[in-house]
Amino acid sequence: MSVASQEAVTSDALAATVIVVPAFREVTIVAQVVTSLRQLGWQVLVVDDGSPDSTAASAAAAGATVLRHPVNLGQGAALRTGFAWALAQPTCKYVVTFDADGQHDTGAVATLIAPIAAGEADVVLGSRFLDPVTRAEVPPLRRLLLRAATWVSRTTTGLALTDSHNGLRAFSADALRRLRLEQDRMAHASEIQAEIARCGLRCVERPVHVRYTEYSIAKGQRFVDAISILWDLLLTPRRSRS
Amino acid sequence: MKGSQIALLASLALFAFYTIRLRSTAMDRLTYLGLACAGVVLIVYPEWTNTLARMLGIGRGADLMFYFFIVFCLFHFATTASTMRRMQRDLTTLAQHVALDDGGVQRGG
Repeated sequence: MSVASQEAVTSDALAATVIVVPAFREVTIVAQVVTSLRQLGWQVLVVDDGSPDSTAASAAAAGATVLRHPVNLGQGAALRTGFAWALAQPTCKYVVTFDADGQHDTGAVATLIAPIAAGEADVVLGSRFLDPVTRAEVPPLRRLLLRAATWVSRTTTGLALTDSHNGLRAFSADALRRLRLEQDRMAHASEIQAEIARCGLRCVERPVHVRYTEYSIAKGQRFVDAISILWDLLLTPRRSRS
Repeated sequence: MKGSQIALLASLALFAFYTIRLRSTAMDRLTYLGLACAGVVLIVYPEWTNTLARMLGIGRGADLMFYFFIVFCLFHFATTASTMRRMQRDLTTLAQHVALDDGGVQRGG
């Protein structure tokens, strides 16, 4: 599947896309992720969120541009740093977010950009629940958690989405410029959806396969994270309000 | 549940709302100042705590002070948390600028 969709990618799209990969303590796998994206010709920006290990060096050696937070700030902050860099590139038309833990298919990037390139959408979100294979593989507890998160997102944003916390997304540069993002940690995923709704952007979902490896499950979110996310969302006054 | 208990719960809720949504640095300082003044008055006239407690339907002045102390602690936690949040926000901005100013120099391949 990845090969077929990859053929459709023009060199134009390759040059106009920045793939932002937020990474924290991903030294064992980040090089592999970067290498496979680079092999397909994508421009990869790894934002190392202050990892104490050699995540940054490893990503750079694999061919990524690397930005490094001097201290750990959180995934939301890492994405914002990446977005700021990407949007400052004069050639950038599409920005893709991609997880560093190897759970995403590199071939999916082209699938996600296609609707934006065709002018049908401003934002494309990956959904594991639209992918029949992943759907069957999602661990039961994780499924319950994601279902609850999705329900909260749907009620608060009014967007009819099926997967609220998927790290694979594509934005047109213009759409991304309009989003006001402030959440440093995991609550950014919900915030992105709220902002998409607030800006009235055209948003579609595409099925993406998520690999549940022992590594990605260990790195993934847990039940307690849901509580932190709710805490951040409810108790962090927005800059515009304060 | 006694009327004073309901009043106390309501005041706690109001206080939480104040600290999360309504407060500003000036209001905080006014509150601290007011509390300090109240402290001075109650040291000079310790029997007033008993009078005040009875007015509110709480048995002893010491109990009233204890309740008061809890509310004050909550207030203090909230102001500290808010300061830390602001510092975290500044730290984020700063760290992001540091990262961006390095400008992706670390480039391999």
